[in-house]
Amino acid sequence: MQIDVTEPRTGASVLTLEGRLNMVSAPQLKTAITEAVEAGRTHVVVDLADVGFMDSSGLGVLIAGLKRTRQDGGDLRITGVTQQVATVLQLTNLDRVLHSYSDVGEALDGW
Amino acid sequence: MTDAGEVRRHEALASLAILDTPREERFERLVRLTQKMFDVPMAMVSLIDDDRQWNKAVVGLGDDVEFPRSESMCAHVAQDDAVMVVTDPENDARFRDFASVKGELGVRFYAGQPLHAPGGVAVGSLCIVDTEHRMISERQLDVLRELADFVETELARGDELDRAGELQRNLLPRTVPHLPGYDVAGICLPASAVGGDFFDWHSVGDDFQVVLADVMGKGVPAALIGAGVRSLMRGASRFNDLETAVNRAAYAIESDLTETSTFVTLFAARLDPVTHVMTYVDAGHGIAGIVTASGEARQFESDGLPLGAPAWEPWRADHVVLEPGDTFIALSDGMLDLFDTIEEAREAARATVAACSTVQEIVDIVAEYSRIHHATDDVTCVVIRRDQA
Repeated sequence: MQIDVTEPRTGASVLTLEGRLNMVSAPQLKTAITEAVEAGRTHVVVDLADVGFMDSSGLGVLIAGLKRTRQDGGDLRITGVTQQVATVLQLTNLDRVLHSYSDVGEALDGW
Repeated sequence: MTDAGEVRRHEALASLAILDTPREERFERLVRLTQKMFDVPMAMVSLIDDDRQWNKAVVGLGDDVEFPRSESMCAHVAQDDAVMVVTDPENDARFRDFASVKGELGVRFYAGQPLHAPGGVAVGSLCIVDTEHRMISERQLDVLRELADFVETELARGDELDRAGELQRNLLPRTVPHLPGYDVAGICLPASAVGGDFFDWHSVGDDFQVVLADVMGKGVPAALIGAGVRSLMRGASRFNDLETAVNRAAYAIESDLTETSTFVTLFAARLDPVTHVMTYVDAGHGIAGIVTASGEARQFESDGLPLGAPAWEPWRADHVVLEPGDTFIALSDGMLDLFDTIEEAREAARATVAACSTVQEIVDIVAEYSRIHHATDDVTCVVIRRDQA
């Protein structure tokens, strides 16, 4: 999986993912989120538009990332949610806490 | 091969404890890959027992997992502990009378690399088989060797993992509870040797309690957390109503789940077999509901979060009354990967329940379906049916 990291503004990171987010690639995302938070960029947007498949390990890292960013006063938001990802979120009711936005711009709005 | 060699192989196989074990995806995957890479109709991981060839994984030979050793080409690979290529079995004195050669199957090509147990003893073969004549290059034999190395790694790894898997299976209910007026069945199929799914059932006073849970992730880490959740639920259920039990267990495991960045979806239900009231708590588990005797489905709706979610909200119990002929079914999300949408998965569950006359039939169909479709996630299913009046 490819992760492209940008910093559109102070304190915020956008992680653009490409590939499958599963047990194999999830640790990569975990590292990227940890690095962002430790560098003081506690507002993290994860762009999932090019993630063809996400399993429960991927979801686990997103939820852990949400906890981690909130601990430091930030937040984690997702954009580009595909049908498959939406299904996983909906089934577990985690769509209630992991909020999804229509694009990166909207996700960054209000931070 | 000497008798001493036979004894060594027999002992090596015994310590692997692999003969007659169920099919496992980690071997099936390697055999499928081998078959595709060499573009042959058949490939298998074979093990050579005293009097038979037993296949741990096979493609292209139907469901037959064993045949007599006297009909086994792989036995020669294991005995000689050497790669073997057979390009003209009809004119090979060793093989021309084999049923697989002169019979309907018509084997015309065989290549096998020996498989070694952790101690180095050859115990079987990774082989490719064709019904057409063909040749194989040295380079291709090297590739087959590398694939055989992968299989050997799995054989070695399996030794320890299998013991963990066996322990985990022992934590699953092994007896069907005596529940007057009801039939109960359940199944848990880990995608690898151990998994993050479990189900549990036991009596609480005069009530019957069932719990299904799915720990995020797979393998050993998920299994360890799962065993913890199971124990906490058992402990908390003894002296508490279901709602309190779930909340106490969730509270107790919360810090562990945060530490390990994981979460657990859980469905717990308690049934009073006299009043037929089922109390349940759904913590993000998702696929649970009732199918009536006339085949109508009532999906349980819930907005409960999984255990370990990043917001603490107390879990609330709901109630439903099981009418005569009603069937309760709960499935883990491993099943969901096999369908395009939640709705399709639910409809398949409804149709299966409506079509089956026994609860065992229902879980058998779920098990078969996940096997055929090579489920990559653990699959768990529990079914409770109230007798027709």
